[in-house]
Amino acid sequence: MVNVLQEIQEGVINGQAPRVKELTQTALAQGLGPQTVLNEGLVPAMAVVGEKFQKGEFFISEMMISARAMYSGLNLVKPLLLSQKAESKGKAVVATVQGDLHDIGKNLVCMMMEGGGYEVVDLGVNATPAKFVAAVKEHQPDFVMMSALLTTTMANMGKTIQALSDNGLRAKVKIGIGGAPVTQRFADSIGADFYAADAGEAVTKANMLQIGGNA
Amino acid sequence: MSMTHRERVLAALRRQEPDQVPWVENDIEEALQVQIMGRADFTPPELCEKLGLSGFGAHFPTGAAADGQGLVTKETYKESYYNPQKVTFDFFPPWIAKMGADPDTGRTYIEKGLLVSEESLKLFDQFLPDPNHPGRYDRVAEWLDKYRGDYAVFARIRLGAASTIESMGLEEFSYAQVDNPELINEIHRRFSEWSAAVVDHLNDMDFDFFWANDDLAGNTGPFMSPKVFRELLLPNMKIVAERIKKPWIFHSDGNLFPIMEDLLSLGMTAIHPIQPSAMDIGKMKKEYGGRVAILGNIDLDYTLPLGSEEEVEAEVRDRIKTAGPGGGYLIASANSLTDYCKVENVLAMSKAIKKYGKYPLEG
Ligand code: B12
Repeated sequence: MVNVLQEIQEGVINGQAPRVKELTQTALAQGLGPQTVLNEGLVPAMAVVGEKFQKGEFFISEMMISARAMYSGLNLVKPLLLSQKAESKGKAVVATVQGDLHDIGKNLVCMMMEGGGYEVVDLGVNATPAKFVAAVKEHQPDFVMMSALLTTTMANMGKTIQALSDNGLRAKVKIGIGGAPVTQRFADSIGADFYAADAGEAVTKANMLQIGGNA
Repeated sequence: MSMTHRERVLAALRRQEPDQVPWVENDIEEALQVQIMGRADFTPPELCEKLGLSGFGAHFPTGAAADGQGLVTKETYKESYYNPQKVTFDFFPPWIAKMGADPDTGRTYIEKGLLVSEESLKLFDQFLPDPNHPGRYDRVAEWLDKYRGDYAVFARIRLGAASTIESMGLEEFSYAQVDNPELINEIHRRFSEWSAAVVDHLNDMDFDFFWANDDLAGNTGPFMSPKVFRELLLPNMKIVAERIKKPWIFHSDGNLFPIMEDLLSLGMTAIHPIQPSAMDIGKMKKEYGGRVAILGNIDLDYTLPLGSEEEVEAEVRDRIKTAGPGGGYLIASANSLTDYCKVENVLAMSKAIKKYGKYPLEG
């Protein structure tokens, strides 16, 4: 039983989507709960993938290949979790901000957050402050996560935070930001709750805030 | 001894010491060009003169009615490729992708790559113009003749790597590395053969150098592993590189250090743009400056769009001090001059280059 979880982890790290799908089926058939498969198979594997990326052992493509393998298991586990009304770890609304069309980093953040056990609502690129506000009202997430790759569009992160405040929603969410030109200093200056330099760290910081610490 | 702009650029590209550090930009967005000049009907040499640039290429707002970037569809693309209406020196293949346009700026972007299967390869015929059609070469030759003067003029091309990645989309490109590497190879080969045919024509024209744009990397490193780069991309990029008979600059954003040795095997004359947020120019100069010339490194994350004129001046001075000694350095922004760079900062960059760029450099 323990073995199959270990094998799932290895399959995700090695990017083997068909194998992870099969192993997930085996695990569920063996009577392991969907929560266990998620939290002891898929999630720790993606944490390793994130670490490997940080250390320069994995490149973006490899991270995406591992994420695909993770999804091949997650897609089996998700409907079971929903039917059991299992508490998800938390929910994040993620998008690239207005005026910005770069989505590779944002997509990786979505993948890693899902691989970290969170529910993710992806608003795509070029998301206006109004779109964020509407999504927060609709989905009531724990996190709002914004990506910007251009120095000009970074300003729209501040505008989005302002719009959330104007709508009385700021206190209801934790705000995380990132993207190549974004820095911790910038995050502090616009009053974001956290900044992360890469998608793996985004999950680590979200985890810290979820358990009530400071990112 | 004073040199012409062209001599200055060619000397620096040969890693020799020119009379002063030359300035060339891969691209200056047209809205910024118009802001700098205060009008839209200027010629490329007029813009160079105003800024003190030593060369030009890319595209200009000058010419007949604007051919609204956002409006180019695959149906009209070939025609506009053969018969460019505005002054351009670009020879890029189109992205084989579903394009979107930002309603506010008209800037086009890639919504989705369309090359995802063997079946989709037939799109090459639909999208790629005939690389041997004389239209564009004839038109560009006229502009070269008219505007070249003493400036170094470049044509922009691609080696095919960026075309492959963007036309597949990074996700499909990644998955195919395990599912179907031969598909990547085939797509890349087709783009590279197209560019190689283009290069055969450009070699015979009055260009002084080529600038090959193939973004491969983000801030932390290349999109793909060095192994995948070496096995799937590099051999195809070589198809183009080996046909080039002029000095040439390789451009990729991001951190290229993890694949630098393989990249250098392409035999480029220079590497651009050495983004300060991704690569340390001091390390680049020290470790590779004896093998390639270096261009770029004036920051686009903060300094040019948000910094003060004093900060621009200080950065220019610092870069010339770091990368200028012995020659082999051409100054440029860390990508292009985008329309959100402050005009006064571009002018401050121009002034600072004249002030600090004269050889022998300050100690
Ligand atoms: C690929 C690319 C493009 C592609 C985008 C394709 C796509 N589907 O996304 C194309 C060709 C379309 C493009 C267009 C442009 N680009 Co561009 N592009 C890049 C490039 C080369 C790589 C970006 C990338 O995907 N990196 C890989 C990903 C994984 O990294 P990442 O996005 O940084 O994300 C990581 C972290 O930052 C973090 N993260 C990201 N988001 C978030 C969010 C949260 C909440 C958190 C916690 C973390 C986090 O996690 C990620 C994974 O670890 C960069 C160069 C660079 N050094 O980054 C330039 C770059 C971003 N582009 C630039 C420019 C100027 C442009 C254009 C204006 C060019 C032009 N003149 O047309 C246009 C603008 C279009 C627009 N309006 O958005 C500049 C921006 C400079 C600046 N500071 O303003 C850069 C930096 C290049 C440079 N040399 O200066 N580009």
